[in-house]
Amino acid sequence: MPRAGVKKVVVSAVGVLAAAFFAFPTYWMISTALKPSDQLLSDSYDLVPFGVTFRHFLDGIGKAGFTTALGNSVIAALGAVACALVAGLLAAVPLARMRFRGRKGFVLLVLVAQMAPFEALLIPMYLLMRDLDLLDRLPGLILVYFGATLPFTAWTLRGFIRGIPADLEEAAMVDGCGRWSAFRRVTLPLLGPGLVATSVFGFITAWNEFLYALTFMQSEDKFTLPVWLSGFHTQFGTDWGGTMAASTVFTLPVLIFFLVVQRNLVAGLTAGAVKG
Amino acid sequence: MTATTDTGVGITPSATRPHVPWRRRLPYLLLLPATVTVLALVGYPVLSAVLTSFRQSDLAQLVSGETVWNGLDNYTAVLSDPAFWQSTVRTLLFTAACVSTSVLGGLLVALLMRHVHRVVRGVLQVSLVLAWAMPMLAATTVFQWMFDQNYGILNKTLVQLGFPSFAGYSWFSTGLSTMAVIMVLIAWQSIPFVAFTLYAGILGVPGELYEAASLDGASSWQAFRSVTWTALRPLVNVVTFLSLLWDFKVFTQVWAIRQGGPDGGSTTLPVLQFIKGIATSHFGIAAAVSVLMTLMLVAITWQNLRLMLRAEEAE
Repeated sequence: MPRAGVKKVVVSAVGVLAAAFFAFPTYWMISTALKPSDQLLSDSYDLVPFGVTFRHFLDGIGKAGFTTALGNSVIAALGAVACALVAGLLAAVPLARMRFRGRKGFVLLVLVAQMAPFEALLIPMYLLMRDLDLLDRLPGLILVYFGATLPFTAWTLRGFIRGIPADLEEAAMVDGCGRWSAFRRVTLPLLGPGLVATSVFGFITAWNEFLYALTFMQSEDKFTLPVWLSGFHTQFGTDWGGTMAASTVFTLPVLIFFLVVQRNLVAGLTAGAVKG
Repeated sequence: MTATTDTGVGITPSATRPHVPWRRRLPYLLLLPATVTVLALVGYPVLSAVLTSFRQSDLAQLVSGETVWNGLDNYTAVLSDPAFWQSTVRTLLFTAACVSTSVLGGLLVALLMRHVHRVVRGVLQVSLVLAWAMPMLAATTVFQWMFDQNYGILNKTLVQLGFPSFAGYSWFSTGLSTMAVIMVLIAWQSIPFVAFTLYAGILGVPGELYEAASLDGASSWQAFRSVTWTALRPLVNVVTFLSLLWDFKVFTQVWAIRQGGPDGGSTTLPVLQFIKGIATSHFGIAAAVSVLMTLMLVAITWQNLRLMLRAEEAE
């Protein structure tokens, strides 16, 4: 018994060290954003901020382009998620519930599309958007993110729908519901958490995306947050306080989403990856 | 009499007959938007990448709009370019390093979560979510700041710990150390997903199996090998496969840290493709690079792809 107790204490101590390793960069980002500038660029060794200031937040957010970039990021991510959710849900229902000729072909199409290395499609996408006159315009970016998130959305929703017993819908139909109203009244509400988790994934993918945004968006008022942030140092010299404040604002929406749907997150990701 | 014929005529032919073709068409109608989107935004670019890779496609052709086929010239150019081979070797080694650290680290953290005190587990899980949630580019800027030559907390800490030579040490002066920093960054970001997935797998192992193992007098290593590892193997395969897909294609962190420098020392294949295509407008060459990249990725993940397709067939 005491030996097991000692073991538990040692293991827990390692656990605390690991927690510190994973939490430190977030802590350092926020504490840098709150430190006065003279404390940032000094030789002293301070792990804790002395004298908290919100200056960097005001400066960073007030810097040219931040709010525009934030707006562009929100529009691109929400636009892509909305499209992917509609098309994905429509496709997920037959893939999960219906028998029809060519079903296997559709499944293969979705699976292969999910594997497609989007990073390797940069050049043809660039040429395609140029031909459609969509370079340097938000709809172009929305289209790309839509294409990138749709297979995953459809596949994951298919997994979630399969998790809901079809008997429930059939019972509702026996009770006099039509096919559509049985789906709407029984399956759709149960699908709620799946829809939330899936759209959060899509949102984060688009919110995070850098390569296409960097390539397609050429004028500054079209930058998304990652592109704007990557240009931050060069544009304004190294303003670490401002950079960390902007990074904090960039991180917040994702952090909130993660805390809300963390439980569904792993289930959804592995469901999409292994099988439905 | 009239009432019976009315209902008979009213229901049977006109209500059910139009239902049959509609029902049969429904799945295809529902799949239509997704199919069109996938074909247009994934299928077409894939096809176009292959076609572009057999064309001379530089700025001149783009402006004039003419199509110049040049056979295998792009591939010959790419394959005879030492920079391509350096990037390939670098990408493969980098992917191997990232995948093994992420999977091994994730496994260790998952095991840690099982054995630590309840409170520590809660703290550890929150820390993991913090690392997982930070957008790639935000994480990259934070790491740049922590690894900053003069004011970075890492160099300051190393000096405090009695290594004065790290004062003003530049972590980004060689390709190797730049890649090492990027690898730490990627492991830090990807371990949480691996750890949560494997931890979910560990929770699914029935407790009786461990009791049986301890009754048989198994050491904790033997219990791990025979119980935990057996249960986790399929999940470890999945996270390894996903990490391969993700880490082979990493662009954001590599580009944002040093744009592939110093002197091309951190140029991986995705960065090479970007430089060839976007920065220097050699679209044909860049397309050839991306086709080769995709072929490599398929070759690396072939086993897993086959298993997944087989599982789908078996349904």
